[in-house]
Amino acid sequence: MQPPLLEINKLSIGFDTPRGPIQPVREVSLSIFPGQTLAVVGESGCGKSVTALSILRLIPQPPGRFLGGQVFLEGRDLLKLPEKQMRQVRGHQIAMIFQEPMTSLNPVYTIGEQIVEAVTLHQHVTRTQAYKIAEKALHDVGIADPRRRLFEYPHQMSGGMRQRVMIAMALSCQPKLLIADEPTTALDVTIQAQILELLQRLQRETGMAIILITHDLGVVAENADVVAVMYASRVVEFAKVEDLFDHPQHPYTQGLLRSVPRLGDTATRLQTIAGTVPNPAQFPAGCKFHPRCPSMQGDMTCATIEPDLREIRPGHWVACHHAQGYSQSPITTPHLDYTHTVPMDLITNRIEPTPAKERTP
Amino acid sequence: MSSIASEPILDRAADVPPPPRSFIAQVMGQAFIRWSARIGAIWIALVAFCAAFAPFIANSEPFILKSRGTLSFPLFRGLHPVDIVLPVATIVGTIVLARRKMQFFASLCLVLWACALTAAASCWPSTADYLKQMQSLFGQSAAIVLLVCFWTGLAAVIVLAPIFISRRSTLITGLCLLPLLIWLMIYPVRPPKTVVYEKYRDLARAGQVDYALYAILPYSPSDRLRDMGDSAFLPPSATHPMGTEYAGADVLSRMIYACRIALAIGLISTGIARLIGVLVGGLMGYFAGTLDILGMRLIEIFEAIPTLFLLITFVAFYGRNLYAMMVIIGITGWTSTARFIRAEFLKLRKQDFVQAAIAAGLPLRSVLFRHMLPNGVTPVLVTTSFGIAAAILYESTLSFLGLGLIDEPSWGQMLNQARGVGASFVWWIAIYPGMAIFLTVLAYNLIGEALRDAIDPHLTKA
Repeated sequence: MQPPLLEINKLSIGFDTPRGPIQPVREVSLSIFPGQTLAVVGESGCGKSVTALSILRLIPQPPGRFLGGQVFLEGRDLLKLPEKQMRQVRGHQIAMIFQEPMTSLNPVYTIGEQIVEAVTLHQHVTRTQAYKIAEKALHDVGIADPRRRLFEYPHQMSGGMRQRVMIAMALSCQPKLLIADEPTTALDVTIQAQILELLQRLQRETGMAIILITHDLGVVAENADVVAVMYASRVVEFAKVEDLFDHPQHPYTQGLLRSVPRLGDTATRLQTIAGTVPNPAQFPAGCKFHPRCPSMQGDMTCATIEPDLREIRPGHWVACHHAQGYSQSPITTPHLDYTHTVPMDLITNRIEPTPAKERTP
Repeated sequence: MSSIASEPILDRAADVPPPPRSFIAQVMGQAFIRWSARIGAIWIALVAFCAAFAPFIANSEPFILKSRGTLSFPLFRGLHPVDIVLPVATIVGTIVLARRKMQFFASLCLVLWACALTAAASCWPSTADYLKQMQSLFGQSAAIVLLVCFWTGLAAVIVLAPIFISRRSTLITGLCLLPLLIWLMIYPVRPPKTVVYEKYRDLARAGQVDYALYAILPYSPSDRLRDMGDSAFLPPSATHPMGTEYAGADVLSRMIYACRIALAIGLISTGIARLIGVLVGGLMGYFAGTLDILGMRLIEIFEAIPTLFLLITFVAFYGRNLYAMMVIIGITGWTSTARFIRAEFLKLRKQDFVQAAIAAGLPLRSVLFRHMLPNGVTPVLVTTSFGIAAAILYESTLSFLGLGLIDEPSWGQMLNQARGVGASFVWWIAIYPGMAIFLTVLAYNLIGEALRDAIDPHLTKA
């Protein structure tokens, strides 16, 4: 089996705020394989975006600080790379698209100028060749008449078009990993579907890995292979998408899934998770979810000891004292092969990708 | 959706895409559609033309003189290095700009570089004078150190400039050859120390001139017309379109030569100020934090320096030096630019497109000056137009107070001379330089305003 493309190992990030130091990311371990889509879900402020930005070292320092951990891209620790080599990684090996397409393009340059600058930076091509690459990239993301669009300014385009341009720009250098930070949140639902479909198609064509940051569980179910659920700066559950949706183990994940409206549901009110996300400056002791947890039931262990992420089944990690194993449901994944699962002594959570034909559509 | 995507667009149009226009070219194109900006540009161009070709427009010495059978070229013998370098730079610049073969930015850099070289070359005579002063003040070693610094700086500019201009080796070769060319042209120039303007008119009166071709205005700015009888304060007439001043020199001729100082002091001092301001302000705004706090204190220190008094003090101690004046106006005038750029950069650094530019792996230089600066340069353009105007006015003020240059005419100095005998008011010496100052300041403002609107994409009609 091929090694993982990106491994985040016990990454911790601190921010010095006027109200004292906080840790938006605490001992987060994730891994992603080539061609895999990793979805990171969680409420606002749980550290999803900070984790994504820290992969590219885009955290402003100060106030941000790397407290520990490693980010390995094909064996190289990105956190130890000098800035010059890091610039080679940014855009060339790892590209990123942002949440807000309306402001992610520089208003004073044409679309073409902006794509060409990135292309000429990372590939040894002339400007004319770069313009052809840019035109092809625009064509690939489904923009009509790319030649004309190259010479247009961002303000002449709609939000969906701009997000397509952002994707074209990100993919023009053929990155191995694309980080999509809530790529569809600012778009309306029909455009959302188109953009996600586009990302899936491009992933099939190029074989790149995608880290999809979202809080839309529908998007996760449709697009992801592997899901990491984050709560209060930590990964609380990490599993294949089928396992997570069929057998959510962490009470927070269960709460999240319960709060999704279901077709044919006759309830008049949506279920919610009681309480709010704790303030990162004053995290509760023990399990960070215990004040809101319905299955705690006065267990003092939950209030005092923070549970570690443990593998309750091959390829299913949960950080909960009460999580039990479950028997594999024969319907969803009948012939999964877990022989390649990494040994337990490795800290990093890994879920090997299933061969493509076995993936549920 | 899929039907659009599968359309064979690239096959249909496999030819080379149209040459991209750079951002500066687009802004220039949009700005100079306006008639106001065009009028401003025409006026500045007129001033620039006068500045570059002054000795060929107004000169008491004839181009060609045939006297008693011998042919001579007195005008060319009397030229200074500046008089050669300026027209050459102007002609080269115009040709380069008109051909439009080169990329706009590269050609602009070429012209600017030629101008910088011109400034350096024209700096040389006064530097030599300055060195003599330094030598008498501080001794020989300091003077040598200064000399070495000057030439090392110039050499560094010559070597480093092409690296920042373009990657194209052809351009670099061309640029390296240009100084050699100019040096070859100015090397044989040895202008005479004293010029006797009357001798040609004396020759003509004596009937010894067979043939002579004069410039359009046959009076040099320092030609006091001593052979013409009572020539002081002559009102405008056919021979002197703008009259004469207190010593009898032609006002129009002095006006034309004064264009040099007006252009140079405005552009160079404001250029120095904007360069420092953009660099300091940009770094302050981008890095924020400690650097920002230190930078703000630096700005406050520089804002506490009264420019005019510093200029007067400098002139009192070190004598009249135009280039020192430019530097002083430059290094005291950058604070407003730095404040504006800092504020803009503080706002821009958090913007998504700046984050996206960093995430795309662009180097800091590109992020700061290619992606942030054009978005934050708008207020600076406005301050630049006012800065040029202010610099011209500083020079005028100094000259009006009698602390400007003595031997070279400037508009402010002429305003000073508008006080005639017994403090009477000589209108033609007041009106014309006053109008020239006013129009130049207005022209810079019109251009600045058009640029401001052109650089703002929200105002452009899509």
